[in-house]
Amino acid sequence: MTPFRYARATEAGEAVRLAAEAGARYLGGGTNLVDLMRETIERPAALIDVTGLAATIKETEAGGLRIGAAARNTALAEHRAVRSRYPALARAILAGASAQIRNMATVGGNILQRTRCTYFYDDAGARCNKRNPGEGCDAIDGFNRSHAILGASPACVATHPSDMCVALAAFDAVVHLAGPAGARQMPLTELHRLPGGHPEIETALRPGELITAIELPPLPIAARSTYRKVRDRASYAFALVSVAAALDVRDGRVADVRLALGGVAHKPWRARRAEEALRGGPATAAAFRVAAEAELAPAAPLRDNGFKIELATRTIAAVLGELAGEAA
Amino acid sequence: MTSPALLLLVNGETRRVLAPGQTRLSTILRDELGLTGTKIGCDAGDCGACTVRIDGAQACACLVPVAQAAGHAVATVEGLAASPMGDALQRAFLHHGAAQCGICTPGMLMAASELLAGEARPDEAAVAAALGGVLCRCTGYRKIVEAVRDAHRFLAGGPAPVAPAAGCAVGERLARADGLAKVGGTDRFGADAAPDGALWLRAVRSPHPRARFAFGDWAPLLARHPGLVRVLTAADVPGRNGFGIYPDIKDQPVFAPGEVRYRGDCLCALVGDRAALEAIRTEELPIAWTPLAPVTLDDALGGEPVQARWPDNVLTTGRVVSGDAEAALRASRHSAAIEIETGFVEHAYIEPEAGWAQRVGDRIEVFACTQAPYMDLEEVAGVLGLPQAAVRIIPSACGGGFGGKLDVSIQPMLAIAAWLLRRPVRAVLPRGESMASSTKRHPARIAARAGCDAAGRLTGFAFEGRYETGAYASWGPTVAGRVPVHAMGPYRVPAVAARARAIFTNNPPAGAFRGFGVPQAAIAQEALWDRLADAAGLDRLEFRALNALRAGDVTATGQRLAHSVGLMACLDALRPRWRALRATAAAANALADAGGGRQRHGVGIGCMWYGIGNTGMSNPSTMRITLGPEGLVFHNGAVDIGQGSTTALLQIAADALGLPTDAFRLVLGDTDLTEDAGKTSASRQTFVSGRAAAEAGRALREAILLRANAGPEARLALRDGALLVDGRPVGLESTLEGIGRFDPPTRPLDADGQGIPYATYGFAAQLAALSVDLDLGTVHLQRIVAAHDVGRAINPTLVEGQIHGGIAQGIGLALMEEYLPGHTENLHDYLIPTIGDVPEIECLLIEAPEPLGPYGAKGIGEPALVATAPAILSAIRDATGATLTRIPALPHRILEALRR
Repeated sequence: MTPFRYARATEAGEAVRLAAEAGARYLGGGTNLVDLMRETIERPAALIDVTGLAATIKETEAGGLRIGAAARNTALAEHRAVRSRYPALARAILAGASAQIRNMATVGGNILQRTRCTYFYDDAGARCNKRNPGEGCDAIDGFNRSHAILGASPACVATHPSDMCVALAAFDAVVHLAGPAGARQMPLTELHRLPGGHPEIETALRPGELITAIELPPLPIAARSTYRKVRDRASYAFALVSVAAALDVRDGRVADVRLALGGVAHKPWRARRAEEALRGGPATAAAFRVAAEAELAPAAPLRDNGFKIELATRTIAAVLGELAGEAA
Repeated sequence: MTSPALLLLVNGETRRVLAPGQTRLSTILRDELGLTGTKIGCDAGDCGACTVRIDGAQACACLVPVAQAAGHAVATVEGLAASPMGDALQRAFLHHGAAQCGICTPGMLMAASELLAGEARPDEAAVAAALGGVLCRCTGYRKIVEAVRDAHRFLAGGPAPVAPAAGCAVGERLARADGLAKVGGTDRFGADAAPDGALWLRAVRSPHPRARFAFGDWAPLLARHPGLVRVLTAADVPGRNGFGIYPDIKDQPVFAPGEVRYRGDCLCALVGDRAALEAIRTEELPIAWTPLAPVTLDDALGGEPVQARWPDNVLTTGRVVSGDAEAALRASRHSAAIEIETGFVEHAYIEPEAGWAQRVGDRIEVFACTQAPYMDLEEVAGVLGLPQAAVRIIPSACGGGFGGKLDVSIQPMLAIAAWLLRRPVRAVLPRGESMASSTKRHPARIAARAGCDAAGRLTGFAFEGRYETGAYASWGPTVAGRVPVHAMGPYRVPAVAARARAIFTNNPPAGAFRGFGVPQAAIAQEALWDRLADAAGLDRLEFRALNALRAGDVTATGQRLAHSVGLMACLDALRPRWRALRATAAAANALADAGGGRQRHGVGIGCMWYGIGNTGMSNPSTMRITLGPEGLVFHNGAVDIGQGSTTALLQIAADALGLPTDAFRLVLGDTDLTEDAGKTSASRQTFVSGRAAAEAGRALREAILLRANAGPEARLALRDGALLVDGRPVGLESTLEGIGRFDPPTRPLDADGQGIPYATYGFAAQLAALSVDLDLGTVHLQRIVAAHDVGRAINPTLVEGQIHGGIAQGIGLALMEEYLPGHTENLHDYLIPTIGDVPEIECLLIEAPEPLGPYGAKGIGEPALVATAPAILSAIRDATGATLTRIPALPHRILEALRR
C-alpha cells in the first residue's frame, strides 16, 4: 500500500477538517474501501476514519428515525423500530451481506459503496470509464449479465450493489451531510447519480462532504413492506434483481405504494412510474403486472442481461401480490 | 513515517503493536503476533476464513483496519479452548467430523462461538444465519451444523472419544488422527510458516488470453525499488523450462518465453522484501504487450494452433467401441438424443497456493500445499536440472485440493528463486491470482444418443465429447481417456461408441477436478435415461434398475466385473425414499395447482460409477511401519488433503498389525521420510494406499511373530514402550519393519478402448428433491439422498463427510458455478454453495466388498460428486418438464428452458 495518513475523527466537523487535503477518503467499516485499496483501484492519500462518529438510531420528533451514519448495518437491521415499522429495510440488510460484513459495515459506507462491475475491478485487463474517465467501457460489449438495464449510458452500464439503499429509496429516506460549506440534506434518491457522460462522478456529494445521518420519515405504509432478492445462490450473492415494496390496499384498491428496484441501475431505482400506475387502481395481479411493465418499458438490454427485464417485472408483480395477499 | 503504538486486547492479553492504523487486523494477528490460526482465504471478506470476534461480534479480520480494533477485545481461535463453550465446540467438531482440511475451521468456530454465546441450543436456521459468511469447500456443511447444534452436550463432558481396541478399528467412527491441530488452529498451512529471513516472490501474470511480449530494461525498476532483489524470467530457469503431468508433455513453462497462452500465464517473477514487492505497480513493469486473437473452443478445431506441437489443437482422443452402436440405435424401439454444454469450474479450495523453498547445500527443500509430493519432486528436479535425490518436498497441511493441487503451482518458481539466490523464498498467491492461474474443470460440449427396446432395455449408446483443455495439457489426456470408459454410466449397454477429445484453447489449463470429466458426461447420460424411461413408460428409477450393471456383467471395455457391483443395492435402498418423495412432491404440486402457486416440486435421480485409480496404468503405493526403540511409527506418504486418509489408513494398518490406533506415531508425507504413496487423486488412497497399509501392517506382524516365535493368532500389545506377544515381552533392540506395496491390476486399453482400465469401481445412486419457482427461475433444494457402494466404510464419519462434500460441489456444478476468466477471479463473483445452499442429506452406505481392497474398501472421493448434478437436473425436469442443456442452471437459463 502507498504510504499515507490515517486519522480518526470523533465528530463531523473534525472529520471534514481532517479530510481537507487532496485524495483523502472517509473510512467506514472498510468492507469495500479496504478491499478496493488492496486491489489498488482506490489509492487514497489519507484515510479519515469516521466510525467514531454518531452511530445512534433514535426516533425523530416527527415520528421517523434518525440513523447516525456510523451505525453498523447489524445494529440497524436488529433495531426494534426498524423491524416493526420498516421491515423491508431490515430484510434488505440481512439479504445484503454475511454477519461479519454487517457487523463491520456502517450505514454511511453502505450507501457509498462502489460498483462490483468486474471490468471496474480488472485494472490490468479492461477499460473502464470509472477508473480512467474517457478510456471507454468494456462491459457494454462484454460479459454483462449483471449489468444495468435502466438509466445506463454509453459510458457506463454498472449497477449499484447495495440492498439497504433499495429499501431506503423506497421509503423516501433523507441523507444529512456535513461539508466544508456547512450542513445540508437531500433525498437519498438524489444522492446517487446516473452515469451519463461522467460515470466517475457517482454521487451528488460535493468535495469533502460527509454523510452524517440518514433520516427515515414517518411512513405508516412501510410497516407492511418486504424485500425480495433474486440471486444465483441462497445467500450472500449480489442481486440479479431485487425489489423493496410497501403496499396499502383498501377496498381492493391501491391506496398507496412504495416501490424500488436493485440490481438494475447505476443507483437504487425508485419505481415511480409503477407507483403512479398503481395508485388508486385495483390491487390485482393483472394491475401489478401492467405497472411493472410500465416501469420496465424504458429498459435497454445488453447482450447478456435481457432476462432481467422479465425477471424484474415478475419480481415486482410477485412481491406486490404477496403484500396484497397479506393485506386481504 | 513512524507508526503510533496501538493497544490490542487479544484473547484477554494486552498486546502493543506498532503499525499504521490502516494495517489489516489479519496481518497484525498473523505476522506480528504469530496467531496464524486466523486464516486468509480471499483477503476480501468473501470467505470468512479470517473470522474473529471483536467485542463478541464476528468480523472479517482481513477488512478491519487495526486502528478500529484498538481498545476492543479481539478473540481468535487460539483463545477458544480457554472458555468452556469454546472447548465444547472444538470437541463437538472433532466428534462429528466437522473439520476436514481445516482451513475454514477457525472461522467456522469463531462464528459459531458468537452464536453459542447467545443461544446454547440453536436451531438449524440460526446456525445457517450465523455461519453463512464462512465458506467451506470440503464438508458440505452438514456435519458443521450437527456439531454446532450438539456442542452443548460437550459442555457436560459429552460422549467419550471413540477408542477401538486392537483389531477393531475398521468400521469405527474414529475422530481424525490429525484433528486436534485443525480445531485448535495450529495446523501449519502453506502460508503459516517460513524460514527466518525468507524473501518473498511475486509472480507476474498475463492479463491477456494470448499475447506476445517483450521485456524492456529492468535496471530502472531495480534502482527505484532497492528491496527488489531479483527478477526471474525464462532465461533464468536452470533446467527445463516446462512442467506437466505426463513425462513426455512438459508443455507449461515456469516463465513464458515470449508468448503467453492464457490470462494468468506466468511470464516472470519478482523476488525481494515484501513491502518492496507490494509497492511495485503493475504499470511500472517494463513489459511491451502485443495482444493476439485468442483461440476459443468455437474455432479451435481447424483454427490456429495454440501450441505448435499440436497443429489441430487436439491434445488427446479417447475412444471406447464395442458392438455396432449406430446399427443398434437404428434398430431401437425408443431413442433419445441430447446436447449439453458445461463451463469451467474452479476448485475454490479456501487455501490459496502458498509455501516456501530453501537451498540446503546442494539440495533444495520445498514446503507447500500439494496433493502429489512425489510428482512435485520430479517437476522441481526437472526445472532445476537436478537429480531427484537432490529434492525434498515437505507437504504443508493442505487447505483443500479437489484435484487443483495435483499440478505444481508456485513450487517450481520458488525452487528456482531459492536455488539461485541461496536464500529462502516464500510466496502466497492472492485469491485472484490463484483463481486466474490454476487449473479448472474441463468445459464440455457433449452430444449423446441412446436407444432401448420396447421393454426399456438399453440397446446402444453413442457419445461425442469435446472437452476444452485450455492452454496447456495438464491432465487433459487423463480426462479424454477416462470419459469414454464411463460415458454410458453403470449400465448394461450392448453397443457403445464413445469418443472424447481434449482440445486446446487460450483459456486456463483444464486439469483434474473431482471426477476427471466424468461428472459432465454423467449429466448427458442421465438426461437420456429420463427420456427413454418416459418413452418406454417406465418409472425413472426402475428404468435404471432394469439396466443396472450387476456382478458378472461385462463392460463396454470388455472387462468382466466379478465382484463389488453394488448399484442394485443402492437403488433398492433408495426405492422407498423415491416413492415417498415423489408422493410428497405430487401432493405439493396438486396444492400449488389448486391455489395458483408458482412453485413446482420435483424429484430426480442420477446414478454413477467410477473407476478407482489410474486408467489402465500402474499406480502403486508403498507404506512402511516400523517398531523399535523409537516406538511404533507409521510412515505414511499419502497426503491427507482433508478427506481423511491419514485416519483411514491408520485404522487399516492398526487392524492388520493387531495393535490399537493410539499406539502409533505418524510420520506423514515428507519425501525424505516416507515411501512413495502416489498422488491423492482418482479416489485411490483408501483402495491403493489402504491396501498397501494393510500389507505393511501384516508384514510387520509377520516379523514380530517370527521374532517372538508365536502363532498367527497371537495377541500383540504395547505397554510402556515394551512389546508383548501373548503377554510375553519381546525385545525391541533392533527395529522391525513392515513394508506394504500395492499396485491395482489393470490392463491398458487398446485402440478401441478394450482392456481392464480399473481394478475396481465405486457405484452410487442419488435422489434430489427440490422446487422450482416458475416465475423467477430459482431452485430450492429440499433434500438429497445418497446411496453409495463403498465396498467397506473404513470410517463411516469420514465416508459421510466425503459424500456431503461431493454433493455440495455437485450442487455448485449443477446450479451456480461457472468460471469466466477476468470476471470471476474472486469468491463473490464466483459462487460456491454456502451453508444455506446445502439441504439435508441422507447417506446410505452400501458395502459390496471388493476382494482386492483393504477389508473390502474402495474409494469415495469422486463418486460422491458425480451423481449429484444429474439428480438435480433430473428433478428440475421432473418439476417443470424442462431439460437444461447449458449448465449451471442459473435462473436466466431455467427461465429460458421453461420458455422452450
